[in-house]
Amino acid sequence: MNLLENIKMAIDSILSNKMRSFLTMLGIIIGISSVISVVSLGVGGQDTITGEFEKIGVSTIRITVKTTEAETSDYITYKDIQQLKEKISYIKYATPVTYQTGIASSEKKSRTAMVYGTNEDMQYIDNTELLYGRFFNNIEFEERRAVAVIDETAAKSFFGTSDAVGKTINVGPNTGTKKATIIGVAKSQFEMFGDMMDEEMPVIVYVPATYLDILYSKESKISELYIMADSKDNTEAAGILAKNMLMNRHGNRERDVYKAENLMKQLEQINTVVGIFTAFIAAVAAISLLVGGVGVMNIMLVSVTERTREIGIRKAIGAKTSNIMFQFLTESVIISCIGGIIGLIFGISGAYLLGQLAGITPSITPQIVIVSIAFSSAVGIFFGIYPARKAAKLDPIEALRYE
Amino acid sequence: MIKIENIVKVYTTGEISLTALKGVSLNIGAGEFVSIMGPSGCGKSTLMNVLGCLDKMTSGKYILNGKDISDLTDNELAEIRCREIGFVFQSFNLLPRMTILENVELPMIYAGIPKKERREKALAALERVDLSNRIKHRPNEISGGQKQRVAIARAIVNNPSIILADEPTGNLDTKVTKEIMKIIQKLNDDGTTVLLVTHEADVAKYSKRIIHMLDGEIIDDNKVIDRVVF
Ligand SMILES: Nc1ncnc2c1ncn2[C@@H]1O[C@H](COP(=O)(O)OP(=O)(O)OP(=O)(O)O)[C@@H](O)[C@H]1O
Ligand SMILES: [Mg+2]
Repeated sequence: MNLLENIKMAIDSILSNKMRSFLTMLGIIIGISSVISVVSLGVGGQDTITGEFEKIGVSTIRITVKTTEAETSDYITYKDIQQLKEKISYIKYATPVTYQTGIASSEKKSRTAMVYGTNEDMQYIDNTELLYGRFFNNIEFEERRAVAVIDETAAKSFFGTSDAVGKTINVGPNTGTKKATIIGVAKSQFEMFGDMMDEEMPVIVYVPATYLDILYSKESKISELYIMADSKDNTEAAGILAKNMLMNRHGNRERDVYKAENLMKQLEQINTVVGIFTAFIAAVAAISLLVGGVGVMNIMLVSVTERTREIGIRKAIGAKTSNIMFQFLTESVIISCIGGIIGLIFGISGAYLLGQLAGITPSITPQIVIVSIAFSSAVGIFFGIYPARKAAKLDPIEALRYE
Repeated sequence: MIKIENIVKVYTTGEISLTALKGVSLNIGAGEFVSIMGPSGCGKSTLMNVLGCLDKMTSGKYILNGKDISDLTDNELAEIRCREIGFVFQSFNLLPRMTILENVELPMIYAGIPKKERREKALAALERVDLSNRIKHRPNEISGGQKQRVAIARAIVNNPSIILADEPTGNLDTKVTKEIMKIIQKLNDDGTTVLLVTHEADVAKYSKRIIHMLDGEIIDDNKVIDRVVF
C-alpha cells in the first residue's frame, strides 16, 4: 500500500464531496491567509521603518541639552563641535541643529518657514540628495555668509522652477527678513505627499547656523547636535565619548544635562513594538486556524461514520489497521494542505492589496511559504489523527453490519 | 486445510450474553465444497466470520493450513484475510464510488501488488466470472447478478485457498442463482476450497457436502448424494 495509492484515494474521496470539502478547507484558508498577510505586512512594515532609518543613517547620534535643567553655560558652542570632531576619532561628522520659525519670500510668493541652522556636515548626516547646486561649505559657515539650501517643492513654489540656484530669497523672522542666495536645491523629503504639500505648510530653509544667528540677531544657544560615527559599531562609543567631552568642557558632570540618543536604539525599539504587535495579531489569526482544524476533525468524524461500511469492506478484504489509519490521515492532511495552499495564495494577494493601501511592501519569504504549508499539514495530522484512529479501530463485523 | 476444535462464540450486549456457537468442531479438507444450512439465527454467519478471521472466537482452537491461528493479532488476521481468504456476501458489499475494475483491484492494493500486475490479474479474475465488459462502470450501474460476479472476482483475485460465501444467492432470482453457482462450482473444480451458507436446498445440491446447524451446534454432516453438476 503505497503513498501514491493513498493520495489518489484521498483525492477521489475529497472530489466526491466537493462542496463539503471546500467548506471544510475554508477554515484553514481563512486561518492561513490571515496569518500570512499579517506576518508579511508586519515584517514588511519593519523593513520599511528600517529603510527610513537607514536613510537618515543608523550610525547617527542626537545629543540634546536638557533645556529645563540647563544653565546658559551648559549650551553647546561651535567650538565644542569643532573639538568633538577633532579629538574623537570615531566621530566622522558633527553638526549643530538650531531652528527658528519665520518667513521666506521671493518676489512672487511669501510663506512661513522653518529655518534650520547647521554646518556642512548636515548633508552627510541627513543624506541630503541635491538636485541642483551644492550644500554650503565650511568657509561659508565660518564667514557667516547669506546662503541657503531649499527643497524642490519650495523652489517650485517660489520661482516656478526646480532649478533655483543663484536666485535670491528673503528669509528671517517676521519682524525683518534678510536676503540669502540659493546655492542648492535638495530633493523634497516628503516625497510621498509630493505636490499635495499644502501651500500653508512651512517651507524648510537650510542656512549656515552662523547666519541663522545673524538673521535672528542673538548669540545662538545650541541645544541640539547630531554626530555620525565612522561605522555602525562605533556609534555607541562615539556617543559616550562625545557626552563625556562636553561635560568636561563645560564642567557640569555632576548635573548630567546632556542626553545622547542612538537612532539605532530607537529603531530597535520601534521594531520590537511592531514585532510584538504583529505577533499578537498573528496569534489571533492562528486561533482561526485552530478553529479550521477543529472543522477538519469534525468533517473527518462525520466521514468516518458515513463510511463505516466501506471501512468494514476494506478490512474484510485485507486492509490492516494501519492502512485505514493512513487512508483517513492522508485525506485530512490533503484537505488541510490544499486549504493551506489556497490560503497562501489569498494571503499573499491580500497582503499586497492591503500593503498598497498602507504604503508597505509585504515581505514574502520562502520561509513563510514553507512554514505555512508545513503548518497546515501539521494541522491536518493533528486534527486528523483522532478520526483516523477511530476509523482504524472499527471492528470489521460491526462495520460491515452498519447500515 | 481447516480444522476447528470446540469453538465457542459468546456475544455480550450489556448484561445479556448469547452463546452463538456452542463448541463447534469441524474438519474441512483442501478442495472441498461445503454447504452450511440451518434455521435463521442458528449461528451460520457467526461461524463463517470466525472461519474468515473477521470475528474473534471466545474460546477454541483454529488451525488453518496447518498453522494455529487461534491467538493472532488484528494485523496478522488482516494478513490472512488478505492472502488466504476470499469473502462473498449476500449484499455484494462493493465500494460504490469505485469502478468495477477498481473494486477488483482493491485487495491487491492491500497485498502490495504493483499497479501493472494488478490490472492484469483483475482482468483475468473478471474473465473467470464471465464479466469482461462494463468494467469501467460503477456498481450501481450493473445488475445484482453482475454485482455478485464482481464480488466473486474480487474474492478470488489474490488467489485465496478458501472462498467463504454467506448466502451469495440470497438476493438473486433462480436464473441468476444458477449462473452464480456455476461460477462457484467451477472455482471449486479449479481447486479452491468453498464454504457456502444457504437456506435453499437446491443451492446446497451444487456442493459436495452439507452441514446442518441448530442453535449454535452442528447436528448433521453428510456427503451430497444427488449432487448437481453443470
Ligand atoms: N453482534 C452481535 N451481537 C449480539 N448478538 C449477535 C450478534 N451477531 C449475531 N448475534 C446473534 O447470534 C446468533 C447467531 O447469529 P448469526 O448471524 O450467526 O445467525 P445466522 O445463522 O447467520 O442467521 P441467518 O440465517 O438469519 O443469517 C443470533 O441469535 C444473533 O441474534
Ligand atoms: Mg447469516
